[in-house]
Amino acid sequence: MARSKPMLVAMADLRMAMQVRYVKLGIVGMGALGPLMAIIMISVFVIFPTTEEETSLILGIMIPMAGTLLAVFSVIPATLIAANSLVGEREQDTLEPLLCTPLTDRELLWGKTLSSLIPSLTILLAGTAVVMIVTNVIFVLYGRPMMLVPDLAGLFLILTAGPAIILTAVSINILISGKVKRVYEAYQTSGAIILVLMIPMFAPIIGMESGIPNTSMVWTVNIVTTLIAATLMIVTWSLAVKRFNRDRMISLR
Amino acid sequence: MDEVVLTGLTKNFGELVAVSEVNLEVPEGTIFGLLGPNGAGKSTTIRLLCTLLRPSDGTATVAGYDIIQNPVDVRQITGVLPEEGNHTLYPSMTGYENLQYFARLYGVPEEEIDGRIEELLTFMELWDRRDDKAGQLSTGNRQRLALCRALLHKPKVLLLDEPTSALDPVAAKRVRELILNFAKKYKQTFFINSHNLAEVQRICDSIAIIDEGKIVLTGKTTELREKLHGLQEYEIRVTGGVSKAESVLKTVDYVEIQRAEIDTIVVRIRDPMQNNSKLMRKLLDAGINIVEFSEEEATLEDLYLQTIKGGAK
Repeated sequence: MARSKPMLVAMADLRMAMQVRYVKLGIVGMGALGPLMAIIMISVFVIFPTTEEETSLILGIMIPMAGTLLAVFSVIPATLIAANSLVGEREQDTLEPLLCTPLTDRELLWGKTLSSLIPSLTILLAGTAVVMIVTNVIFVLYGRPMMLVPDLAGLFLILTAGPAIILTAVSINILISGKVKRVYEAYQTSGAIILVLMIPMFAPIIGMESGIPNTSMVWTVNIVTTLIAATLMIVTWSLAVKRFNRDRMISLR
Repeated sequence: MDEVVLTGLTKNFGELVAVSEVNLEVPEGTIFGLLGPNGAGKSTTIRLLCTLLRPSDGTATVAGYDIIQNPVDVRQITGVLPEEGNHTLYPSMTGYENLQYFARLYGVPEEEIDGRIEELLTFMELWDRRDDKAGQLSTGNRQRLALCRALLHKPKVLLLDEPTSALDPVAAKRVRELILNFAKKYKQTFFINSHNLAEVQRICDSIAIIDEGKIVLTGKTTELREKLHGLQEYEIRVTGGVSKAESVLKTVDYVEIQRAEIDTIVVRIRDPMQNNSKLMRKLLDAGINIVEFSEEEATLEDLYLQTIKGGAK
């Protein structure tokens, strides 16, 4: 069966992106780094425990942070691919023939979005699965009870704020594609969106009460982060679709 | 029926007027050449016609579709070779993959794609290079591949921006032959941008000259040829100084002396087909020893000077 036009664009974009060394390294590196950091962060206190009380406390902070960490590292590949697929195409002169095809603006934007969304979501979900499995294997090996890593609040963040921030990063790239000339400018601008995920990163530490992690505080922060991410996603995506302008993209050459 | 119609087409980039109130009609099945120097507005005109740019004023129709109202339809029935087309291929895809990708984007039926690509690549003598990465092909081969891409979906109208620029003479000749063959085979309408007068003369049925965004001359190529005949210069090299030859030439009413140097006189000859041999005989009869009698090809610059700038001055 023939692929849809947005999927064709997405696959071609991904293929082109993987030819660029820093994008390839970014996808592979960030894809591996997020889960690796989360695993090390948690397992180091299991493998080299101090007192049971201290280990439980540290795990109480680290496990909620794992979700945020995984989400952060899945957004970076999205910004790399999105910057490369719009501004990068213009930079390497392949955008003009693409814009000459009968693709509608919507099809083109969906294609460009899918090319970032598919690998980033894959990294996020696969990374989460790896962290879940590896940490629990370590827990069992070192005689600790099995736990959900990331915890429920972290999984909620991963499944809601994660995709929303990824989509926001792509939308920002679409929005600025008619304004910036170089890929690195696009990457730096859209990369700033990662800052949103810094809020839940520090919530477990800030929310500690008498040395005990505050679960309801973590949940609240994650829900607020998701709401911020969803709002940003809706606003930036609507603006991106509305303001996408072939004329401006070509005129900026 | 006119396949491409430009009506008061205007494009401004801020203060700069790139295309100014252009009116043109290109009949179906013809090869039309838009001539002009760099920065005259040729590429902007093509980008407007293929809906990449939106007009500031006026409009155009391509095969009956308005570029503002029906941009997707316009893109479906046009094939575009952008400026420096050889740079616009995906370098890490093979030639075949580049064409396959665009065939799908243009909605060529899946069962026809392979046959269509084979036909075009064979026609362009690139079939043996189909599995080479586009980035590894020579400039000429990439340009031909980009032309294949423009022809893939059998468009009614082809918009080609400087199709032979950056090509060596042999490759340029090949591309011109391909355009002529395709125009003949599929009765497509070609809208070609060029700054190469000789090229346009060779392949186009009609032309327009654009300068500073405005159309300054339109007509059939045959009419252009007639205008050029009057502009062609002939170089007559003689021995023993030019003064005697100059005095003879001054008595000939169909000759206009342009300049005289040490041993060479440059002249324009009215109706050269008729008068060249007569003039040579006259010079020989006057005892002048002619070493060389050669024609200098009129250039686009000459035509500008005569029809554009010259007219104004």
